Amino acid sequence: MNGVSSQGGGDHLARTDQGGLYRELSRSNLPATKRWYAVVGLLSLVTLWGVGCFVYMMKVGMGVTGLNRPVMWGALIASFVFWIGLSHSGTLISAILRITNATWRAPILRGAEAMTAFALMVGGLFPLVHIGRNWRFYYMLPYPNSRQLWPNLRSPLMWDAVAINTYLLGSLTFLYFGMIPDLAIARDHATGWRRKFYTVLALGFRGSHNEWRRYHVASTIFAILIIPVAVSVHSIVGWDFAMAKVPGWHSTIFAPYFVTGAIFSGLAGVVLVMAVLRKVYRLERVLTTVQFENLGKLLCTMSLLWGYFYFAEFLTVWYNRNPEEWEVYRSYGGDYLPLWLSMVVCNFVIPFPLLCMRRVRRSIPALCFVSLLVVVGMYAERFLIVVTSLARRNDPFIWHNYFPTWVEFSILAGALAMFLLLYTVFAKLFPIMAVSDIQERLFQATDRVVGGTTVESIARPEASGEGGHG
Amino acid sequence: MSGVVVVGLFEGIEKAEGAGNALRALPLAEDRITTLSSMPLPDGSVSRDTRRILFPRVTLIGWFVGALGGVALSLGTYLLYPLITGGKAIVSVPPTLIVTYEVAMLGALAGTVVAGFREMGLMRFRTKLIHDPRIHEGKILLCASVEPGNQAERAIAAMKAGGGIDVRSEEGEL
Repeated sequence: MNGVSSQGGGDHLARTDQGGLYRELSRSNLPATKRWYAVVGLLSLVTLWGVGCFVYMMKVGMGVTGLNRPVMWGALIASFVFWIGLSHSGTLISAILRITNATWRAPILRGAEAMTAFALMVGGLFPLVHIGRNWRFYYMLPYPNSRQLWPNLRSPLMWDAVAINTYLLGSLTFLYFGMIPDLAIARDHATGWRRKFYTVLALGFRGSHNEWRRYHVASTIFAILIIPVAVSVHSIVGWDFAMAKVPGWHSTIFAPYFVTGAIFSGLAGVVLVMAVLRKVYRLERVLTTVQFENLGKLLCTMSLLWGYFYFAEFLTVWYNRNPEEWEVYRSYGGDYLPLWLSMVVCNFVIPFPLLCMRRVRRSIPALCFVSLLVVVGMYAERFLIVVTSLARRNDPFIWHNYFPTWVEFSILAGALAMFLLLYTVFAKLFPIMAVSDIQERLFQATDRVVGGTTVESIARPEASGEGGHG
Repeated sequence: MSGVVVVGLFEGIEKAEGAGNALRALPLAEDRITTLSSMPLPDGSVSRDTRRILFPRVTLIGWFVGALGGVALSLGTYLLYPLITGGKAIVSVPPTLIVTYEVAMLGALAGTVVAGFREMGLMRFRTKLIHDPRIHEGKILLCASVEPGNQAERAIAAMKAGGGIDVRSEEGEL
């Protein structure tokens, strides 16, 4: 808008015309190419393969998995914890950045929120896949039935069901609500069936002053509400384990430790998703090194926090030498050494020192490499928590190592493909960039000459009071 | 606000603000003037929102309704299916707190959505609403709800004098 006055030179986005900016940010919505169909076809095939293996497991029985006494929770539950953790940072980071009005937030909001929604959808399926008699999943729903059976809400697993559903509904609402102004922009640019599609989804949003004011208040309320929900969800996932008297699980630190791990892996996921979106949809002008550097700083902080929590947990067990718990930790130096090393090296030893370097944080390939390590390390951590505690449980005569079978690997691959498929289709149909947020941010930004240099200056309307008419 | 609305497109905030001031000088009440723009404008920059924002109260109500639902769900299932878990009392406080908290937050989110949508005036699919897609080109649509006749003519004149493009009178709702 012309209200933006700029001084100085440079290719500043504030001087991009809005139509051009929309076209640039909505490249993902262009008609599908053959390459897109090929990617979707491949992802669909892998997803179908995963679904097929699940059906096979349902038909033949859980014996086709590597699960056996005493390890009755394996890769499927580890994946559940991993995916729920991965879902954590999207909405949480988006909400925190909205509340703190972080000026660099706009380009990462939508992509991160979508990641949360799809990771939750995928993660939420794992307990249903794992339960064995899957067709009885509806027993978790509280409904009157002839046998007078009701869900046992004193069980942490039911807390989980309630919390995940709340978080999923909240995250989907948060995602959709944030998208309404962009759907209105898309509606006014689209033709054909897309126009009808966006007209319905935009709910008649037009951008009136009253609408914008209420939209901002509602967005802030959503953000305030979703943060404690996000924290509670992973706390409850941690309590799924901590409530059981299983050595290695029964720990008071598990709730904050799980939340920290979830934010850590979620941030790594956000970095990877943003890097892919940037590359595929040529969003280099919007998703700049500023966003990646700031995400890198957060990742560095979370790596340190994760290291601190893990050391605190380890030290307590090491000093106490309670034989039951110590056997679990001893297995980290034996059969599970490769996993344990993967966890420590990928979560702390490599990421922390690398992320302390500005050069690494500002290099997108380097940051992606570190994020990939963190994702691997966090999966190893989830696997170690779930499996080793059961594999070294109390009675040495029943100790048994676990390794997933091809059926479990196929289901895990199917889940990953399903996540990517949902994301790919979403990016094709919906605005993957928060266009109105980016426009607002650009509207508030000007270049200001300070002595011999030019710096970006951000206007903060709410900080200057109510304003007024001349 | 329904009836006759005078609208005009403006190239920048300064022009829109000038035209808005001219409309106020007609005189036209503050609540009859608004803008349509592709991004939020600071309150008072062109028009001012005079209506109080009330829906956060519904968020609070939703929270309490959700909390009641959570208590009812947990206590109800405890009593309908009194299964002793880990030697704890049938009616246990910590699980009740957890379930109540989650359902309360869900209630608050639902309350915000329903009341927020309603107060924003969304989902009025059958109503003819004033709109101009050219706001996505960076323009601002200044809208004034007026009485037909003399007031409408004076509003059109004020907008044209302020540099408005395609100033016209429309039937519809703001």
